[in-house]
Amino acid sequence: MDSGPGDEMLLAAVAERDMGAFRTLYERHAGWLAIRLARRCNDRDLVADAIQDTFVAVWQRPRGFRGDGDIAAWLWGIAIRRLVSRLRTGSSVAAVFENAEPAPTAEDQVLLSVEYGDIGQALARLSPEMRAVIQAVVLDGLSAREAAHLLHVPVSSVKTRLYRAKAHLRAALAEGSS
Amino acid sequence: MVTASISLREVGRTFGATRALAGVDLDLEPGVTGLLGPNGAGKTTLLRLLATALPPTRGQVRVLGLDPEVPAERTGIRRQLGYQPQEIGFPRGFTAFAFVDYIALLKEWTEPAARHAEVRRVLDLVGLSGLGAKRIRAMSGGQRRRVALAQALLGSPPVLILDEPATGVDPEQRVTLRAVLAEIARASVVVLSTHQTEDVAALCERVIVLEGGRVRYDGPVTDLTGQAAGRVWLADEPDPAAKVSWRTGTGRYRNIGTSVRDDVEHVEPSLEDAYLLLRGGSPKREAADEVAS
Amino acid sequence: MTGWHLDDDALRRYVERTDSLAEGASAEQHLLSCEPCRARVNAAASAIELSVIDFAAVWDRTRDAVEMPQPSVFERLLRGAGLPAHEARLVAVASAFRGVWLTGVVAVLAFAALAAAVGHARGEWLFLAVAPIVPCLVVASSYDPWMDPALEPELVTPYPALRLILLRTITVLALALPAVLLFGLVVPGETAFAWLLPAVGFVAVVLAASTWVSPLRAAIAVSSVWLAVVWLLAARSGSPVAVLQARAQAAFLALAGVSFSIFLLRRRRLRQLRPWRQ
Repeated sequence: MDSGPGDEMLLAAVAERDMGAFRTLYERHAGWLAIRLARRCNDRDLVADAIQDTFVAVWQRPRGFRGDGDIAAWLWGIAIRRLVSRLRTGSSVAAVFENAEPAPTAEDQVLLSVEYGDIGQALARLSPEMRAVIQAVVLDGLSAREAAHLLHVPVSSVKTRLYRAKAHLRAALAEGSS
Repeated sequence: MVTASISLREVGRTFGATRALAGVDLDLEPGVTGLLGPNGAGKTTLLRLLATALPPTRGQVRVLGLDPEVPAERTGIRRQLGYQPQEIGFPRGFTAFAFVDYIALLKEWTEPAARHAEVRRVLDLVGLSGLGAKRIRAMSGGQRRRVALAQALLGSPPVLILDEPATGVDPEQRVTLRAVLAEIARASVVVLSTHQTEDVAALCERVIVLEGGRVRYDGPVTDLTGQAAGRVWLADEPDPAAKVSWRTGTGRYRNIGTSVRDDVEHVEPSLEDAYLLLRGGSPKREAADEVAS
Repeated sequence: MTGWHLDDDALRRYVERTDSLAEGASAEQHLLSCEPCRARVNAAASAIELSVIDFAAVWDRTRDAVEMPQPSVFERLLRGAGLPAHEARLVAVASAFRGVWLTGVVAVLAFAALAAAVGHARGEWLFLAVAPIVPCLVVASSYDPWMDPALEPELVTPYPALRLILLRTITVLALALPAVLLFGLVVPGETAFAWLLPAVGFVAVVLAASTWVSPLRAAIAVSSVWLAVVWLLAARSGSPVAVLQARAQAAFLALAGVSFSIFLLRRRRLRQLRPWRQ
């Protein structure tokens, strides 16, 4: 898919240590990444640090993007994990970043592809805790452990809430289509 | 009273049996001075002498009124000096920023924030602001020359000694270089050596021609160019009477000769013509088909 | 713009966080593949009253993090040892020049120590032959032009050449000596320390000689002479007693003293490019 004119070229230039291309990449992506991160974390300083870590990681491994999918998705994958990292360690950041988000399960894909009118109502009826888990695990593709760090809850809670949330949604969708 | 910023009196430099420089008398002031001459003429030796990298074996050198033979004064000179050598073997693993930062450290920029700002400033001046984080070993020859120039520009020194700053630099970058040097030369003494007469013509007010370790010419560029007035003409064939003659891009022959003639198509002399005329003074030189370098 | 895009209202709700989870999820999924809408979100990010983050400041920090040389472990050690930050940087940078060389040295020493431990008097001789010349070779490499490619611009800076050379000398010695000492522990008897004074002597000789000839040449000359001497002595006697005697050790000390004095007297020559090229 096309990630916008020049993003791939910018990455190639960054691999050649072109600071100008790096800056352009920053200007293109820091804004929306910060907004999206801020929707998951209220602490502005943490969001700023995570953005910094994200772009430093991009600089260190620009060839980490394999050309599959959108560059934006790849960047988001790095950004959310940098945020989780910051939340976990409090100050230090891992130098090596993990691979791109795992592929969504078939069930997740079904959930996402349904017209959001129905699912919107179904989601709205979930408690805030369950919504947060859905967002972290299903939409952001985090692992249960990462979601636990993000939401400041034990891993077991994440799994329980996710199970319950999916059950509620399935019930609501079944209701809706009947 | 205005004293010359650099002065040399009867300066000579020998290496064992080789005499690299002899009987050099110079006075240099703020502005750009070009050093022209063939290989082995002593240009690099002279520049090293000016940069306090070498002492003379005879004669006296004064830079900004200070004597490089006196250790304390030599340090004083070096505080106000920037030097770009002909070749720098950059160490492995250094980025442009890291190397210029290292030299800045040696130049007593101890405070990190000010030092980093200065490093960025000089990298920007030479057009490398986007490549500070690139490894020097991965750069082209022209880019490396620019890193070498950048470290010389640290601190906007009153004395700037450049050994072949424009070699290997592409035409667009050379234009920028000219602008940068012209700006610095308003208050600093800039001495540069080059093989390209066009650079001297475009950038320098003054030119020194070195040959065999001696000064053949020292004066304004316009005066040297003027020496070839009326001695350059175009013809369809190389003229046997000419000292130097070569085929130009238009297919005609450009001739330079010591005799002033009336019956030929004279053209405006360039600095290159005057330089060739000066150099080609020996009667043993072949005239026909000699191609200018 | 053609195709489906976020309308202004939806965008505003997304940025101000007044939308629902489903709307947000839909918007975010769209943004991953729509560059124009991302640009609109970017614009909103800097326009809203309470800006999300200070983008300019974060850029400055990011650029510094990737552009500025970060202190190496060695540099931080030196700073911890009391050297001021900029001098620690100077010395640490210089020692980057000879990493490969040091590994070679360590390998040679390891071999010699092994020989000394495994073998008998022969092994001791071998250790005694190699150990004293290692420090002077390492010191020579720290400022010889062949090993230091950036010597010319370094030289004409106001930083005192003598101080740079001495700092580098001390640093590489601090690196090399513990390695040699450690291997020396494997060697039986007093040979483990008999090499120290000769080593100091040779370093001083190389420093002094570098005011006449290139440091590396001086070091190689000194090393060759020592190896020849050791060879001759080993051929004649079984154990290195001769070297261990107080008289011999005192002689090395005297050699060190005299050489270092000569070095200090002639230190002016070090401030020039290749002063030995006469």
